[in-house]
Amino acid sequence: MKKSTFVVLGMLLIMLGMMAFSLNGPRAKVPVYLVKKDSAASVAAFKQVYTVLMSPRCMNCHPSGNVPLQGDDSHPHTMLPKRGVDGKGVYAMKCMNCHQPTNTPGLHMPPGNPKWHLPPANMKMVFQGRTAPQLAKQLIDPKQNGNKDLQKLIAHADDELVLAGWNPGEGRTLPPMSHAAFKKAWTTWLTTGAFAPSGK
Amino acid sequence: MEKTKPNFNRRAFLKASALAGGGLMLQFSAVAKLALPAKSAEADTAVQWNEINGYIQITADNRVKLVCPNPEFGQNVMTSLPMMVAEELDVDWTKVVVEMGPHDNKKLGPQFTGGSNSMRMYWKPLREAGAAARNMLLQASAQTWSVPLEELSTKAGVIYHEKSGKTGKYGDFAAKAAMVPVPKGIKLKDVKSFKVVRHSQKNVEGSKIVSGKPLFGLDYKKEGMLIAMIQAPPAFGMTFKSFDAAQALKMPGITAVFAIKLYEDGFEQGGFDTRSFNDRLVVVGKTTWEVMQARKKLVVDWIPAGDTKDYMAGRGGKREVMVPGELESTAAQLEKMKAYANKPAQLLRKDGDPETAFKNAAQILERTYNAPFLAHNCMEPMNFFAHVTDEKALVAGPLQAPGWTEPTLAKILKLPAEQIEIQMTRMGGGFGRRAYGQYVIEAALISKQVKAPVKLIYSREDDTSYGIYRPMYTATYRAALDANKNLIAFHVKGGGIPEHAIAANRFPAGAVDHYLAEGWEIPSNITIGAFRAPKSNFNAAAEQSFLDELAEAMGKDPIDFRLELLKRAKDYPVGKNNEYDADRYAGVLKLVKEKSGWNGPEQKKYSRGVAAYFCHNSYAAHVVDMTLRNGQPYVERVFSAIDCGIVINPDAAKNMVQGAVVDGIGNSLYGGLTHKNGAVEQTNFHSYRIIRMHEAPKKVDVHFVQNDIDPTGLGEPPFPPVFGAVASALYKATGKRYYQQPFSLPQPEVPVV
Amino acid sequence: MITVNINQKTYHVDADPDTPLLWVLRDHIGLVGTKFGCGVAQCGACVVHLDGEAVRSCVTKLRRAEGKKVVTIEGLSPANNHPLQKAWLELDVSQCGYCQAGQIMSAAVLLKANKNPTDQDINDAMAGNICRCGTYLRIREAIHLAAQLQKKEGSGK
Repeated sequence: MKKSTFVVLGMLLIMLGMMAFSLNGPRAKVPVYLVKKDSAASVAAFKQVYTVLMSPRCMNCHPSGNVPLQGDDSHPHTMLPKRGVDGKGVYAMKCMNCHQPTNTPGLHMPPGNPKWHLPPANMKMVFQGRTAPQLAKQLIDPKQNGNKDLQKLIAHADDELVLAGWNPGEGRTLPPMSHAAFKKAWTTWLTTGAFAPSGK
Repeated sequence: MEKTKPNFNRRAFLKASALAGGGLMLQFSAVAKLALPAKSAEADTAVQWNEINGYIQITADNRVKLVCPNPEFGQNVMTSLPMMVAEELDVDWTKVVVEMGPHDNKKLGPQFTGGSNSMRMYWKPLREAGAAARNMLLQASAQTWSVPLEELSTKAGVIYHEKSGKTGKYGDFAAKAAMVPVPKGIKLKDVKSFKVVRHSQKNVEGSKIVSGKPLFGLDYKKEGMLIAMIQAPPAFGMTFKSFDAAQALKMPGITAVFAIKLYEDGFEQGGFDTRSFNDRLVVVGKTTWEVMQARKKLVVDWIPAGDTKDYMAGRGGKREVMVPGELESTAAQLEKMKAYANKPAQLLRKDGDPETAFKNAAQILERTYNAPFLAHNCMEPMNFFAHVTDEKALVAGPLQAPGWTEPTLAKILKLPAEQIEIQMTRMGGGFGRRAYGQYVIEAALISKQVKAPVKLIYSREDDTSYGIYRPMYTATYRAALDANKNLIAFHVKGGGIPEHAIAANRFPAGAVDHYLAEGWEIPSNITIGAFRAPKSNFNAAAEQSFLDELAEAMGKDPIDFRLELLKRAKDYPVGKNNEYDADRYAGVLKLVKEKSGWNGPEQKKYSRGVAAYFCHNSYAAHVVDMTLRNGQPYVERVFSAIDCGIVINPDAAKNMVQGAVVDGIGNSLYGGLTHKNGAVEQTNFHSYRIIRMHEAPKKVDVHFVQNDIDPTGLGEPPFPPVFGAVASALYKATGKRYYQQPFSLPQPEVPVV
Repeated sequence: MITVNINQKTYHVDADPDTPLLWVLRDHIGLVGTKFGCGVAQCGACVVHLDGEAVRSCVTKLRRAEGKKVVTIEGLSPANNHPLQKAWLELDVSQCGYCQAGQIMSAAVLLKANKNPTDQDINDAMAGNICRCGTYLRIREAIHLAAQLQKKEGSGK
């Protein structure tokens, strides 16, 4: 297990380095991140990241089952809407049937975002129940992360739906740190080698 | 005609009587059965309806309209009551038009939907009305054809004179029949010969429901109508000191913001004049959304109201009732109930010498059961239309008991009852909540204040947090067994906030030599009222669970144990005033035993629970078959046996039992309302859990005891025993007894759909 | 002024674009078949079709419906003959009836996407619609019946 993870990680890092190089042209305005391994810094950063990902604002849409979670206590979403193949719900129970492009004002109202959905059925990216080491390995596994490379993973921190975690609608707690702090920890973790904390 | 309803135009009435001949008019003025013009529920065309009596109108071209007296909240009275009329009138049911009548107790009887009483209350009067009308039509045709009435017969709205070959439709004689004095004592049909009743007939409003026609109170509209919402205090026990309406008044569409007082000081409240609060704020505007938005802008200084007084009217005269000001919380309520349970209580019934029997018992089983407040959660939130002027009032909307609200309206509006017109719309659920006309009074007061037609609308949060709830209950049951495990004494001591649920003369009273029932109550400012099978809905849960556990302690099958007790109650009953018929009670248990294959192979497939109960004059028993899906209880199948006498409309009755079973499963597993500092903690369906599609059983197999006994209630009786059966099935499924409602287990990490 | 197509008719609505579609339908247009149950997208009594999706109109703002097609219970079929409406009547599903328009509108989206739904499919599609009278068993049965009717005679349009 461990061995193969390292192999995958190593390949990924080599790949990322190449991509970073090829993108490093004069027209590329996006920041390009290079990996500089530092296992201690990486693990420390991931511990920060983990507290955010396991907060209800992130975990609720990364459930272990096919039903999203809800509320600060992460209870199963009332009326049990199902993920569906594309993560957007099924039949009369599509996410966007209740979740609007923006937050609906008021307590207990559906929070909103134009892209509101769960990860799709073929790439569930479960957070719920994952330990820190498990989640760290899962996040960088292209087979489990929707084929995201380093750049894409870093960019994902600014994904509209990820950002929605910091705009959760009335009455919902925020993730344990600001988005800027999260992004910093996330980027640090990835650019220092994306090391997983030890343990299971 | 002491009381002419304003909806009947007096001028038209006089004109009609003049046309009909003044002589007859005097003779029959008391029965209001004159040819009055009215509009059909369906057609806009002016049709001359001949009113044979309050329930029956027929046109010259043979259209038959039957007027339903009781408001409809889903129990299907708008179909089943007119069916009784149609049966005796002998008309083609498929061609009949049914219309909801206005409030008019003189013409239409008590008009109360509740207490599972509609069928029982109208069983005789409606058949008599149908039979009398048929006789009047026969008299009119006999006169017209100059033949003896005895030679006439009818079939589906047609009158036949076989000898002469003459036939005529009811419509041909309707105008004349309307002038015939109402005969009394017409022989009614044999119940075995029914053609309409006892045959399944479809909901007369079914097609309107599935096509979204305006039927409900919330759909009611009048020209120039404004929308009003109430801002009630945020918690029971609170009121407001002052408020600032400036911001709310600046919001678009808002016309007025003010405070109203429901009852003036010293107002004598009737039994159904329950008021959650006396002072509330009102926002009035053009559209619902605008009012909802403006209401959020109210700035209010809420303060504890302290102890207050209510003045209750009653048989013994005016009574002063202290309403404590405490801001209640559920934990404290439970503690208080525990303390009260140890105090002496009111004796409700005593047979034999229970104290000595318990002293001498070889074994005593004692268990305590608790149940929370419940909110009705009618799908249609409370609402009412009112247009009040100095001279008269028109109010319209969903209301179970117009006859109880009218006197209160008259007193508060200072209008004679004749000047108050109440129209009842279809109700989006009732469950007892709409027997309390608080929201009607509110609407009327608001209309009076703004001098305009107004529709008052509660939001779901208003409806849930400002309700009239099922009380919070507890009861401790004790049973004494002798050395041979025979049941020698039974004791129940129950209490509640603010009333107990104990029905002392119900089973197993009458079946045990030494029996004691006691009750106690804790005053509270949380308003309570009838909730589908009041009191019974707790008793059946607690008592039936206890009997299940008792049977187990005695080493007996739970059905056989109950049957033994019932045999005892039948053969040599203990005490007096036993409310139930032991044979009919045993009958539903035997039927459910047979239909469920009790003790058969099914017993191993499922975790089975059984319970039975008698209330509202009917008997119900259920066997529920439970499984665990990921640790969560799921009632997959239910077998129900009901004895409610003659079943008027079999398929609709079956529907109602199925619904009651689903409601019972939902409320027993998930239902509950808690308080924190007086405020309701579950304000909407996000936290007040209602049973949903995936939690409903796959099958509810309903069986009725076949007999020719006059019909009794059905809306409520099937509901209470579901709780007990679910509790006993849960025990089988989990090995654990459940004493605290709701019974829901901790949520699993991964829910199962 | 916001232009919306409702039941194949074009309406120009003069209301705050933030007004929920539910109240636009009920208070402005006068189509009251769509019901107010909870106002927080929990009960499903207000379900309408927005470009074919079963949205909850109590939280769907008017602006989201701009230029789109809305279908309410009143416009589900030309003569109240959608297979679901027929099945509902055939099995006499309704008790109080208040939730049924929302139930039917949700079921219509299910039947469009799944011609032969299983009990599980019905649970997945209908768990968002509360029926306080507890008519779920008949709703389930009526959806199965409507699926059969739909196969036989088409969708009623």
